[in-house]
Amino acid sequence: MKARLRTAAAAAALLAASGCSVVDDLSGDEPPESEYTQAEAYAPMEEAAADAVAGLGDFPGFEQRSWAEMPCSHDGVDDDEYTAIEVRYRFSIADSATEQVRDQYVATLREHWTDAGYEIATDDEVEGAERTDRNLVAVRHDGISLWYAVGGYVGLYIGSGCVPVSEAGEIEYIPPTGGVEPGGPGDLVEEYFPDGIPTTHEALAPLNPPEGRA
Amino acid sequence: MSEMTWQQLRDLDCGAVRTLGDSWKTHVDAMLDQTERLRSDVIDGHLSVEHYESNTATQVREQIAMTADRFEDDLSDYASTRIATTLHEAADAFEAEQDELKELVPLIEQHDFDIEGPQSEYDVNLSGGLHQAILTLDPPQWLCDMCGVKKPDGFWDWDTVKVLFNGVDLYGTAIGLAGQYQDWLRAVMSRAHDADDDAAAALKEMRENPSELPPQLGATYDDLIGDYKDAVSQEVADEARAIAEGTSGMSPEQVNQWWEGLSDAERDALVAEHPEWVGPVDGIPTESRDTANRTLLDDRIDGLDTQIAAKEAELAQTPPTDPQYSILEAEIHDLQTDRDELSDLQGEITNEDGSPKSYSETGQQYYLLGFDTEGSGQAIVSVGNPDTADNVNAYVPGTGGDLAGASGGLLDRTRTMAFDAQNAAPGEETATVLWMGYDAPDDLIEATDSKWAEEGSADLESFTQGIRATAEGDPSNLTLTGHSYGTTMVGTAAATEGVDADNLMFVASPGVGVDTASALGVNEDNVWASTNESDMIQYAPVHGNAPVNEDFGGNTFTSDATRESGSWWQFWDGPVENHSSYWDTGNEEHPVANTTSRTNQSYIVTGQEDLVR
Repeated sequence: MKARLRTAAAAAALLAASGCSVVDDLSGDEPPESEYTQAEAYAPMEEAAADAVAGLGDFPGFEQRSWAEMPCSHDGVDDDEYTAIEVRYRFSIADSATEQVRDQYVATLREHWTDAGYEIATDDEVEGAERTDRNLVAVRHDGISLWYAVGGYVGLYIGSGCVPVSEAGEIEYIPPTGGVEPGGPGDLVEEYFPDGIPTTHEALAPLNPPEGRA
Repeated sequence: MSEMTWQQLRDLDCGAVRTLGDSWKTHVDAMLDQTERLRSDVIDGHLSVEHYESNTATQVREQIAMTADRFEDDLSDYASTRIATTLHEAADAFEAEQDELKELVPLIEQHDFDIEGPQSEYDVNLSGGLHQAILTLDPPQWLCDMCGVKKPDGFWDWDTVKVLFNGVDLYGTAIGLAGQYQDWLRAVMSRAHDADDDAAAALKEMRENPSELPPQLGATYDDLIGDYKDAVSQEVADEARAIAEGTSGMSPEQVNQWWEGLSDAERDALVAEHPEWVGPVDGIPTESRDTANRTLLDDRIDGLDTQIAAKEAELAQTPPTDPQYSILEAEIHDLQTDRDELSDLQGEITNEDGSPKSYSETGQQYYLLGFDTEGSGQAIVSVGNPDTADNVNAYVPGTGGDLAGASGGLLDRTRTMAFDAQNAAPGEETATVLWMGYDAPDDLIEATDSKWAEEGSADLESFTQGIRATAEGDPSNLTLTGHSYGTTMVGTAAATEGVDADNLMFVASPGVGVDTASALGVNEDNVWASTNESDMIQYAPVHGNAPVNEDFGGNTFTSDATRESGSWWQFWDGPVENHSSYWDTGNEEHPVANTTSRTNQSYIVTGQEDLVR
């Protein structure tokens, strides 16, 4: 079949040009040096979240905060010496349904991040039969990204990019912002602190836990 | 092996096969009425304790009850599970493929193609008439339409002739279409043969000898009854072993019926005493498999500790100059690697107190559906219970996927998919499964070989059937999401064995083993593919037509190319890196989350296709 011949030729070309030999030989460097290590990244990321929240009026408070990781790959292979952190804040389902959170906050953050000189990397909207979802992504000069995601839930996700992995003991607890009680049921970072979340920390400004949530 | 021809499949009366299955079900119900009468009218009626009270009467009642039990077991195991269910499953499978043939064969005929070759591997070729039509510059209208040219008015229409010679490839287009139909036909027949073989195996494995009945009443009754009861218990064990070893011929649905027919005590005993016959078996409910697999995981880690200690003791007695010394060192290293990887997996899914852990972000429990250290290692881990979920998304990784990844990066991706699905559909439960259930290729060279996908196809088919069999309530919306070679794995399984899935999602595919969505056995509207504009994989469709191509016939969704080359002269960096960028939370070169890819996937998985862009 012609299609098979064409694809086989393309495959051969790929392997010759970018398959193991050339790519491995020429691009076997370490990933570009990042501004932070994993342990160092959490503080500025949490500050970025706090800064975003500070500009949001009549803020109802987030329901939960979590720290997630994704693999970093190099030459198409996952590199376990690097990780990409995503600090995730999410509103409750009730608050996620309000126009203020789904619509007004997008406009506020767009203006706030633009004024701050961040690059707006994504600003889109998709209209479905039952709801309209939005994505607003801004990138800071230090490489930290902020994604305000309006879906079934609405959340603010802060990305670190690929950073060198730190030992578990090196990662310090950073109290949450946006009304999540440090060490409370919505503070979902216990994986990183198997001996227990240090609860002596105050929540990051600007908000203390909203009434009835602490 | 099935020798069914496409004509036999086309002409098969599937309704008659189904009716036969119904008849057996009716027969079972009628016979169960008989045993019920035996219990109510005889044991609890005429021969009840009220009327007859003696040791002999007790023995008679016991023997009649055991005979009724045996009769019911046989009805359940053979007439219902083996025969009726096999006939129903075969009828459903044949009918699905027959429907495909009813669509496909007229297309083949309309386009003047011929079906040739043996039933094991049909060819679809251009007919002699079509050859002649093209050679005499009188191509059919459909071919002109496909090539975008005006049908020639006559031999002396030089302008058109020039267009035909210079601008289009009539032969190539016709052969390409014939090739797509050939893929489709081969896939249909492959799945039909698979169903035929499965049905034959299920019926063949019925025991040839009738089951033993309780001992006759008399002087030897007391001596024999103990052995009889032991034999009945042993039958359950033998059946469980045969199912686990794959020699029973039973489908996951039949396994589920068998499992549901056991008593609670029998099920508990199997989980506790023979977890190896429960944990890996598709068709047994997830809760029981998880319990059994956690026991197996504990035992395996303990066993590896013992093996490592023994090898280390042997090493201590071996002089470093002895050639055996380095061999022992290598063996210890391999054992320690297996031990560490299994321990890491255990740590990801188990709390400090040994209880099953939940993924904190979504609140869903982890379930272990299987693991193995053979080859690169395998693991099947679910975030959330697929038996009770509204949606199930099984992520099938590609090249480099292994056991280590199942407690590392692959599981991180799985968790992010679970988080994204919950964000997309908060009111629904979506179970996200890491299906690292095949021996994936280790590198790009190995990934040019389709054997890894072929070897894993039956297991992926079985997995999907198991999800259906153990579903509580309405069947879930099941999506298989392949990444890279994982798409080849999904596509090959779908085309050759058949997968019982609602949606197939191909992310960064090098080809899925067939050139058309029609060959995959699911509605083309439910086939989705995405490759970002920078991904290197678009230059390497080594396993067939890329599913993002328009002529593949599926849907596509957008994914961002979130990564860039480190420097201008390393121009290949971006394309290589973007092959893995589909779940990005951002990276150093371009630290932006792949919002389009992640949200689009979550929409498909949760059945919100109207939001896909």
